Amino acid sequence: MSVSETVELSVIIPVGPRHADALALYADYRRGLAAIGRTYEIIFVLDGPQENFARGLETLRARGEQFVVIGLTRRFGEATAIMAGFARTTGGIVVILPAYHQIKASAIGRLVAAVDNGDVAIGRRWPRAGGVLERFRRAVYHGLLGWVTRVQFNDIACGARALRREVLDEVELYGDQHRFLPYLADRHGFRITEVDVAQSPEDRFTGTYAPQEYLRSLLDIFTVFFLVRFTKKPLRFFGMIGVSTFSLGALWMLVLVIQRQFMDQALADRPAMLLASLLLVLGMQIFALGLLGELIIFTHARQLKDYHVAEIIHYSRPTLVEGEPKSVESTAKR
Amino acid sequence: MAEQMKLSVIVPFYNEEDNIQRMYAAIVSAVEPIGAPFEILFVDDGSKDATLRLGSEIARRDPRVRVIRFRRNYGQTPAMAAGIEHAHADILVTMDGDLQNDPEDIREFLAKIDEGYDIVVGWRFNRQDKLLSRKIPSRIANWLIGKVTGVPIKDNGCSLKAYRASLIKQIPLYSEMHRFIPAMASIAGPRIAEIKVRHHARQFGTSKYGLSRIYKVLLDLMVIKTVAAFASRPMRWFGLLAVPFALAGALMLVHSLWIWSGEAGSLPLPVAATGIILLMSAFILVCSGALGELVYKLGDVREREFSRLTERLWNPQ
Repeated sequence: MSVSETVELSVIIPVGPRHADALALYADYRRGLAAIGRTYEIIFVLDGPQENFARGLETLRARGEQFVVIGLTRRFGEATAIMAGFARTTGGIVVILPAYHQIKASAIGRLVAAVDNGDVAIGRRWPRAGGVLERFRRAVYHGLLGWVTRVQFNDIACGARALRREVLDEVELYGDQHRFLPYLADRHGFRITEVDVAQSPEDRFTGTYAPQEYLRSLLDIFTVFFLVRFTKKPLRFFGMIGVSTFSLGALWMLVLVIQRQFMDQALADRPAMLLASLLLVLGMQIFALGLLGELIIFTHARQLKDYHVAEIIHYSRPTLVEGEPKSVESTAKR
Repeated sequence: MAEQMKLSVIVPFYNEEDNIQRMYAAIVSAVEPIGAPFEILFVDDGSKDATLRLGSEIARRDPRVRVIRFRRNYGQTPAMAAGIEHAHADILVTMDGDLQNDPEDIREFLAKIDEGYDIVVGWRFNRQDKLLSRKIPSRIANWLIGKVTGVPIKDNGCSLKAYRASLIKQIPLYSEMHRFIPAMASIAGPRIAEIKVRHHARQFGTSKYGLSRIYKVLLDLMVIKTVAAFASRPMRWFGLLAVPFALAGALMLVHSLWIWSGEAGSLPLPVAATGIILLMSAFILVCSGALGELVYKLGDVREREFSRLTERLWNPQ
């Protein structure tokens, strides 16, 4: 039943370094998927050599289970793994599931159901375990992301998602962008629903995060900021920072020069001049970066489209068909 | 029907359920008598009312009509850009979907294009809008835009415009540029004509945009004009920016070395360091210019193409 021509659901499971036991995970997801009552296929994407998991999959295959395994030669990152899996899907709805017990498999059905009235359904682990500090961290992180993007989601770290295949056709993910899929999809005008899913008991996290986790979160916010907000107007952003830095440096320099000329303070041996000139230079460099950005936008405007056409409605006579070869028209002319 | 299409009428709609059917009827009754094959492109900019349903009904009845549906509301510039991208004809006419423009004017626009103009712009000389909130700000904006771009057009805000398709399809359109398409197109050196058009007061629906964002748009415009001007020679521009830094840096370095070699003999370190920073900065600017050259090379905007689009032979056969 799983790998046939007409599956409804394509399940992609990207397997990174954090993964559960293949046998238990597979059994769990199988139960959850079977409960939905739609045909499905399962695609495991091994992001680098995940040997334990691969052995588990071998065992499963020996038992006669049907699924596709794609092995990537090195670690490319989750977004690339998802896209690699997506290239081999056939279903109209793509379900992405984490390779560890993050949610209860019984919740998958609710995600899939939500896609029927939308384009993207993202899981939100709720009710969710975690201490006060952890809850605060999450609230601040998502609050900042929401402020930057003007769309509010509550759990973008949840790897369980269901979406129409058009979404991944259009929104190309790369690098670390899998987490930001909802923001990117929103930007393309897709309708996104957040679905409360039950958290798996094994997903309870009780420790504290390492400092690099916080750094990563901060970088996330910057990334999303540039992806969503400032991609089309680099000079508005860089120009503002650049001009203010430059003016600060220029003003300071002016003060120093005045002090030297009229107040008899030496200029040459004061480090303040160094700092002022640094600001001047930095401001100029930032401004130049913005100009370069504008140049990129200007020379690539036709590839970086502002808009996304959902469909073209046209009931046609043959001569006016969209994308019809020009030669036909000119033959008809003669 | 089998001929090459002559005219595409592009109309963006955003929540105009009261107007779309009237608009369609007005366009057809104005354009059909011209006798040239034409098509109509409705761009539905993410309307939330019945605009899309009415539009697709029109398309079902009339195969000359295509409806481009946006997934959500993107604004007027993207809507125009999408229409321009998907149009098939040689001459493209854009107009507002709110019945304030009169399709009867299209005939004159076509005549002007046939005269040899590349862009024809409408001028709403008897504009039917509120004086204080719409007309006066627009006067000021038009004057400013004329100054900035060097293209003195009396009424940039009028949506009724006609373009030679080969030209406008090459012009990068983004951000909030629908007001400045002629200015933007001026990078290609087109022949621009301006003709008076009728303007009707809004009958149905409400106005969708004011001029409150004009300063932002003007900023954008200045940036775009600058970028357009130096896009094909970034090295020169960044080089020019670098010159004052390089000069100041070199001067300071020489000055401090001169003091050093003098009788007192101590090196004024802050001056020397400042000089070096300025020199390095000039160097980085020049490097940015080199990067800019690469960007232009890899981009799809070519001045060579622009000049070919608007050039005319002086001794035609």
